[in-house]
Amino acid sequence: MNTNKRENIAAYSFLTPAFVLLGLFLIIPSILAIYYAFTDYYLLTPDKRQFIGIGNFIEIFKDPIFLQSLKNIIIFVVFVIPIQVGTALGLALLINKQRKGNMLFKVAYFSPVVLSLVVISVLWLYLLNPSEGLINTILVNIGLDPQPFLSSPDQAMLTIVLVSAWQGAGYQMLIFLAGLQNIPSSVYEAGKIDGVNKWQNFFHITLPLLKPTSILIMITTLISAFKLIIQPMVMTQGGPMNSTITPVYYIYQTGFSDRLIGYSSAMTVVFGIVIGIITLIQHKATKEDETQ
Amino acid sequence: MKKLLLCLIIAMLFTVITACGGDEEASSDSDAVSVWVHTSKETPEGKAMQTIIDRFNKKYDGEYSAAIEFIPRSGSGGGYEDKINAALTTNTLPDILTLDGPNTAAYADAGMIAPIDEYLTNKDDLLPSIIEQGTYEGKMYAVGYSESGVGIFYNKKMLKEAGVDLATLSTIDNPWDWNQFMELNQTLVDTFDKPAIDMGFDDQSEWLMYAFSPFLWSQGGSIVSEDGTSASGVFNDENAVKAFTFIQNMVKKGYATITPVEKGFHTGEYPLKFGGSWTITELEEYPDIEYGIMPYPTSPDTGELVSPSGSWQYAMSATTDKKEAAGKLIDFLVSTESLTEITLANSVLPAAYSVIEEVQDKVSPELNFLIEQNSKSAHARPVLPAYPQVSRVFQQTVSDATYYKENSDIQKLLDNKVEQINKALSK
Repeated sequence: MNTNKRENIAAYSFLTPAFVLLGLFLIIPSILAIYYAFTDYYLLTPDKRQFIGIGNFIEIFKDPIFLQSLKNIIIFVVFVIPIQVGTALGLALLINKQRKGNMLFKVAYFSPVVLSLVVISVLWLYLLNPSEGLINTILVNIGLDPQPFLSSPDQAMLTIVLVSAWQGAGYQMLIFLAGLQNIPSSVYEAGKIDGVNKWQNFFHITLPLLKPTSILIMITTLISAFKLIIQPMVMTQGGPMNSTITPVYYIYQTGFSDRLIGYSSAMTVVFGIVIGIITLIQHKATKEDETQ
Repeated sequence: MKKLLLCLIIAMLFTVITACGGDEEASSDSDAVSVWVHTSKETPEGKAMQTIIDRFNKKYDGEYSAAIEFIPRSGSGGGYEDKINAALTTNTLPDILTLDGPNTAAYADAGMIAPIDEYLTNKDDLLPSIIEQGTYEGKMYAVGYSESGVGIFYNKKMLKEAGVDLATLSTIDNPWDWNQFMELNQTLVDTFDKPAIDMGFDDQSEWLMYAFSPFLWSQGGSIVSEDGTSASGVFNDENAVKAFTFIQNMVKKGYATITPVEKGFHTGEYPLKFGGSWTITELEEYPDIEYGIMPYPTSPDTGELVSPSGSWQYAMSATTDKKEAAGKLIDFLVSTESLTEITLANSVLPAAYSVIEEVQDKVSPELNFLIEQNSKSAHARPVLPAYPQVSRVFQQTVSDATYYKENSDIQKLLDNKVEQINKALSK
């Protein structure tokens, strides 16, 4: 009994630093954000903060830039998920087989994940430069027109999608790889005896058995995709014509440039609810899947 | 073992707590006037500031003293302003702080900074643009210690190659209007078969407000009404349409590109460039480029030369308990001697007439050109508490106008932006 108690104390003591940090930097700020969302908090006059009810929330749904940012992020998510997850799966399949030099490829595919997003964005900014960039130089040399990748309102978001997918795919690749290596070889052997071809092998054995892994990847990719900010911040500053402004970027701008903490907190709450609902739907889908 | 564990946990908690505390009160324990500045100690500007503070301490030894703290800001202005905002919530602002020109109204409106008219002994000496920039609701709240400006840099060799007689170029006393300026661009585009000017359209930031608002003012237009409450009938009037049509035509006719090559002027890619005193410093590393500077083009309707201006300033916090000493220090910081020191160290434009006289024999003819243009035509950016939003809408309007296919109807574009500005002003 006594030792049990002591163990408990030790356990809680170990947890304390984590709780303190989480509390200070996550839980308390979240609660404050919800409270500020109902006030007219202006960064420079913290003492004159007043409770204004749901005023901020009404404003948000009339704010064309916030609505545009929601539209932009949905476009981003719809394109980035299949491209990034598809690439990750492809890469995982490529390096799953025992081959010489696999390690090299693994490192190569994974290396963008380790680099800072700002570095990646600046790098691509140079590669995509319309007049001197490597990509347009190649396009011109093979007889195509140079593309205004980041300076065209139609292409800017798609360019960011491709850069983001390229950057992030390595991480999902590793998870897929772990999933692939968990598939027992006996299943494949059984398939071999039944005489399945390569495609049947993939669609009827690999893919169904990867389902739990895929769901995990979908959820994590989706949530991180919604938080897009650094790539547009560095590469396009939200332009051209607001075509790459994202909710998190807009929240940052309103909060820290415009100093409207109340308004930006309200956007945070709305955006948090949107992500929450999407995660819930996914969570439910996962549960149903487990009961099958 | 258990004791060791406990020690470990306590040590960790202690780290967390002290890490949050920081080392705020390092210099404010004495009677010294505390000064926060946004530059780093190692820059020429920072070194000059330190020298000036040292001189103040020597001169007023035993009477007043001052301590300077350098809080370098990041490229986009973060860091320093974050610290100011944090100090505001915890009531730990210094006695004197630096702030960027466009922040004057917001800080004054929030009651963060105090009026300083009574402490300034040389107000008549300051350039009108400096007074305009630091004045909110009739009172002077902040005083700029340097100025900035933009001119049209031209590559002498390339212009000669295109058959342009350099003696006929635009001058400050007789500046070209937009049409004459576009003719030059046409000649250059015809000769070199590529865009003629780098106007910095790729810099989607305060630059677009700073460098392009003078066109609107030259035309006689404005961004918001005089009382600062609305943009209706102002930002979408005939003058605004004309100014933005000029900006759009620069891109539409192929004179300027929205995606200029980096350092294109420096490497002889473009014969023209919008540049400031910093461009002169940059060009020292490109001795092959022989260049001159022309004044800003003016509206054909008014012919009035208006050029960009504005820079960082000093202000006194409203909560200081050392008003007298802080006032003395601000006056000392903007005395002719101090301003001359910082102007020469930083290669920037002077903020006062007396300083212009002091430095004009010591700086390059190019810098002197910008100094002269600045003293005759500088226009401060609007002094509005909602400046960040208004500026961003203006920046987006410039950027949107350059997409001439999507925004061929300038009137419609401006009507739309007026709504956004009004919304920002009403908050």
